[in-house]
Amino acid sequence: MRKLSMCTALCSLVLCGMLNAEESMSMNAADKAMYAEMLENNPAAMDVAEGEDMFNSLIGKDAYAKVLGVKVKDLPKTIAGFPRMVKVAGKVVTLSQSLQMAAADRGHPVPKLESNEMIKMTAHVKSLANGLETNIDVKADKQMKEMAVLGQHVFEERRGGRGLSCNSCHSPDIVGSRLRMQALPDLGAKETASAATWPAYRMTQSVMVTFDKRMQQCMKNALLAELPLGSKEMVALEVYVTNKGKGNTMQIPGLKR
Amino acid sequence: MERRSFLKGFGAVSACAALVPSIVSAADEAKKVTGPNEMSVESALAAITGGKPVTPSTKVSLSAPEIAENGAVVPVKVSVESPMSANDHVKAIHVLATKNNNVRCANVYLTPANGEASFATRIKLGTTQDVLAIAELSNGTFLSAKQNVKVTIGGCG
Amino acid sequence: MKTLIKIKPKDYKVGDIVKVDFMAMHPMESGMRKDKDTGQIVPAHYINEVNFLFNDKMLTKMITWESLSVNPVLTISLKVSGAGTLKVLAKDNKGDNVESSVAITPKG
Repeated sequence: MRKLSMCTALCSLVLCGMLNAEESMSMNAADKAMYAEMLENNPAAMDVAEGEDMFNSLIGKDAYAKVLGVKVKDLPKTIAGFPRMVKVAGKVVTLSQSLQMAAADRGHPVPKLESNEMIKMTAHVKSLANGLETNIDVKADKQMKEMAVLGQHVFEERRGGRGLSCNSCHSPDIVGSRLRMQALPDLGAKETASAATWPAYRMTQSVMVTFDKRMQQCMKNALLAELPLGSKEMVALEVYVTNKGKGNTMQIPGLKR
Repeated sequence: MERRSFLKGFGAVSACAALVPSIVSAADEAKKVTGPNEMSVESALAAITGGKPVTPSTKVSLSAPEIAENGAVVPVKVSVESPMSANDHVKAIHVLATKNNNVRCANVYLTPANGEASFATRIKLGTTQDVLAIAELSNGTFLSAKQNVKVTIGGCG
Repeated sequence: MKTLIKIKPKDYKVGDIVKVDFMAMHPMESGMRKDKDTGQIVPAHYINEVNFLFNDKMLTKMITWESLSVNPVLTISLKVSGAGTLKVLAKDNKGDNVESSVAITPKG
């Protein structure tokens, strides 16, 4: 027992030393401004342009609005409210799933959620709402209420080899602490604007990634089994996290580390 | 620090550390590998200037982050004070990453039609190092500016 | 090779200096990276020359190297001398080349 506590003390010493060293390694305002400026020349802009062509040939605004049950002019504000209940689906769906429905409705082959085609179309369609604030409504109906509750459960449930949950790193207790030089983001904060800035170009991977895919990658690194894209749990998690950052301005495609 | 949140954080740190091999050791290993265009700063400078002196100058402004979040995408901007006239202009801007296997990033040959001597891009930096910008003027002289960029170890995922 | 040219700002007059952004989707392989699955070195594959021409006259010639980031972005200035076409020719070390262009349309 004594040996164990010694070990813990030593570890904490080492870790605290690391944290202090990392403090001096954080970016200054000028650095942050330079990275922010890079948004203007986001390589994912090429993907979004391609997504526009795909969306127009596969679905089109009229057909998409019809599936969502809204007018074409109301598409942007509807898009800013995903994940949402879609009547013809009878359940809460992500924007990508609504595109799948629209493709099926037009008798086209349905692109898989993880396909490049779907990622690019999703980014384009989400970008139609750029400049608007995300307006997810978790109290809109019974289905959304249920999904928000399930999403919180998924967020807080400790799983995997190390018993971690999303909350282990993204709880208010620990936000701002550093994990290998990176400050853990507050998923609800304006500067994080999580749901409003995905799909985003990930500089570490040089590709555009969707929000749910990013959450899968996070699970993988924390040794949690990855929730499948489009599963009820994954959609619920997206509902919960999107709602944390409700009201942030849509800026698609984002640019992330 | 509160014990509970400390433990949570520690779990997260070790989970990531276990999965992602340290970038530092990856960089050390990379040093042994030789790229097809390997070139040192000395050779690259000699090729650019033909042995002429290079003078550090405030006329050359080089911006790069002091700390790069990610060595794979480091924004670099260079601008040089110049009238960009037919008689007096910047002929070229050269960007070098002094510790990369091939230090050359881009050789940019400008003309007065550019209106101003500026160039911006994003480069890969294998490790913490100086980024060097050389401006070649129409009168045959060379000016330079440099900035150190610290490349940090990335976060989770 | 997919490319995109952007002129900033969108509105400009004759005599203004605008920024020209050229982006390309390219892996920019350094020739030093090992493939995770095969363990083999991935051969170098990078854009090695980019030429910017305004009305077919050389504006800026670039020699580029594998140290540019994946999906590189290159930005230069252009003093707008009148209406015309800005053309960008990009080549890589495997011989792939692409030509893209954008109209320069000054207002007033």
